[in-house]
Amino acid sequence: MSPERFGIDTITLAGSLAAKLKASKAAGFSQIMLSAKDLSGHPDGVAAAAAEVRASGLRVTGFQVMRDFEGLTGPLGQYKLDIAKRMLEMAAAVGAPFLLVCSSTSSHATGDANTCSADLRKLATLAVPLGIKVAYEALSWGRHAHLVADAWKIVETADCPNLGLVVDSFHWLATDAAPDVLDGIAPEKLFFVQLSDFMWQSTPTFDERRETARHMRVFPGEGAHSEQLAMLIRGLVEFGYQGDFSFEVFNDDYAQMPLEYVTQRAMQSVHWSLDRVPRKDLLVRRAVRRSQPDLIALHT
Amino acid sequence: MSSLSTQNPLAILGIEFVEYVTTQPLALGIFLERAGFTPIARHRSREVMLYRQGTMNVVVNASPNAPFNASAAVGSTHIGAVALRVQNAAAAYSYAIANGAWEVPVHAREMELNIPAVRGPGDSEIYFADRYGDFSIYDVDFVALPNVQKVIPAAQNETFFGIVQLATVGRVAAWQDFYQSLFGFTTIPAGQFFGVVNKGELLKSPCGTFFWQLIEPPGEGDDVQWDEALVRIGVGTRDVAATQAAWEARGVKFLPVGSTANGGVKRGAVTEIAAGGACIELVLNTGGAQ
Repeated sequence: MSPERFGIDTITLAGSLAAKLKASKAAGFSQIMLSAKDLSGHPDGVAAAAAEVRASGLRVTGFQVMRDFEGLTGPLGQYKLDIAKRMLEMAAAVGAPFLLVCSSTSSHATGDANTCSADLRKLATLAVPLGIKVAYEALSWGRHAHLVADAWKIVETADCPNLGLVVDSFHWLATDAAPDVLDGIAPEKLFFVQLSDFMWQSTPTFDERRETARHMRVFPGEGAHSEQLAMLIRGLVEFGYQGDFSFEVFNDDYAQMPLEYVTQRAMQSVHWSLDRVPRKDLLVRRAVRRSQPDLIALHT
Repeated sequence: MSSLSTQNPLAILGIEFVEYVTTQPLALGIFLERAGFTPIARHRSREVMLYRQGTMNVVVNASPNAPFNASAAVGSTHIGAVALRVQNAAAAYSYAIANGAWEVPVHAREMELNIPAVRGPGDSEIYFADRYGDFSIYDVDFVALPNVQKVIPAAQNETFFGIVQLATVGRVAAWQDFYQSLFGFTTIPAGQFFGVVNKGELLKSPCGTFFWQLIEPPGEGDDVQWDEALVRIGVGTRDVAATQAAWEARGVKFLPVGSTANGGVKRGAVTEIAAGGACIELVLNTGGAQ
């Protein structure tokens, strides 16, 4: 595993899109997870924002976030479909490989897994001509799907190559998920992994999870669950996950800190994470640090 | 997969026409005529010509307002659309939209047919046409050229055999599912191919009259940026060698690729690219897809 598989998420950072791109690159990141607000909030519009992203040279990890999409009917369902289509178009504009979809929290949404699967299959089909995949994540306070297993049931039922799963370590830790929850899932169906920790031991209620998740996440290595998080990262490597890791750290303090301070903490977390993966991958990381191409060639 | 993959939810009957979008209508027209097509009609309001050979209709769209042409480099030709012949265009369109196809804005002007379309790969569109036979879509939107017959013979019973689509690396499965779930195509068994380009995935239309081949870009690690697109028309013929000889005699150039089946029968041939993007693959048609 190489440092290039780790990226930072713009929602963690303060300032303009241009400043976020610049600081992330300066800290050594080669990829960045974008939010729709990065584009829609750009003073010169979506096209200018997309041009800025392309000019940065940073690879786009993915695009977030479509909320409360599945399980709706009638005008509300049609409205959400229209929003989802605009999200897909924005994701395509920046060359994002994924649109992130979070499990619904809406009281208007049905919990019927077949209906949710059909809705996500439709979205994943819409994403095909745009060259985008749909990555589905169970929020730990999701109304019907709040565990990885719940999300997987919906993705598995949809049986759609363009639809896969997201694992977010926050929700994993918040729900005290079992280490074997990915057993039986093909590694290629895990599209994406988001990493973060938090500062207290447990978040038993949905309200506590939501509040913590939106305001007080921290980077891996900074929180109260470092050991479990290390186990998760090792488990994902052993599981055969080949995709990217992005730090999705909603944190009110980081959102008012200088960019360089936060991106440097993020980069420290990259190294913390890499120090917890198996030996063979560690050698690769060291090789990259020392810029010794011969060592890299040996182990990649 | 859902059971739809074994049915024909859009009631597809075949390929009605293939539309090229081009900035080189003259060069493309010459290529098509050398390949046995005859120009038979001109669009009422746009710089669009209709070519025909047997049951095959090819539309050459040189309208500067055509999708892709507005930003295209001079000298470009692309397959801009494939029109599927369906029993009921409105019903087919509704089904496709309800299941995850993108609507395409209507291009029709006054007194022209509104042919519904959904988004295809790259810049392409997929039309649904339900007027054919005695009173076709061409009778509404096109004006016949003088002294030209509507029925154009195909010497070796040439017919549309299929469409070849480029899917970028790792995306074949997604497109396969797209055509299966939206259009009812089925994937034919691995290793079964026609013609000379034996790679990718080959999907059969639910009506059984044509194929859709999904291929990935040739080679990896080069500096070419491949975009997803419809890259070739497949034309079936009962005698590849005879069709190739006839086309070559009129000036069509073929790539130096080819193979033979048992008994020395030529299975296929691929033309060189003409007019900045037009390419036809000849395929021996023993009645398999037809």
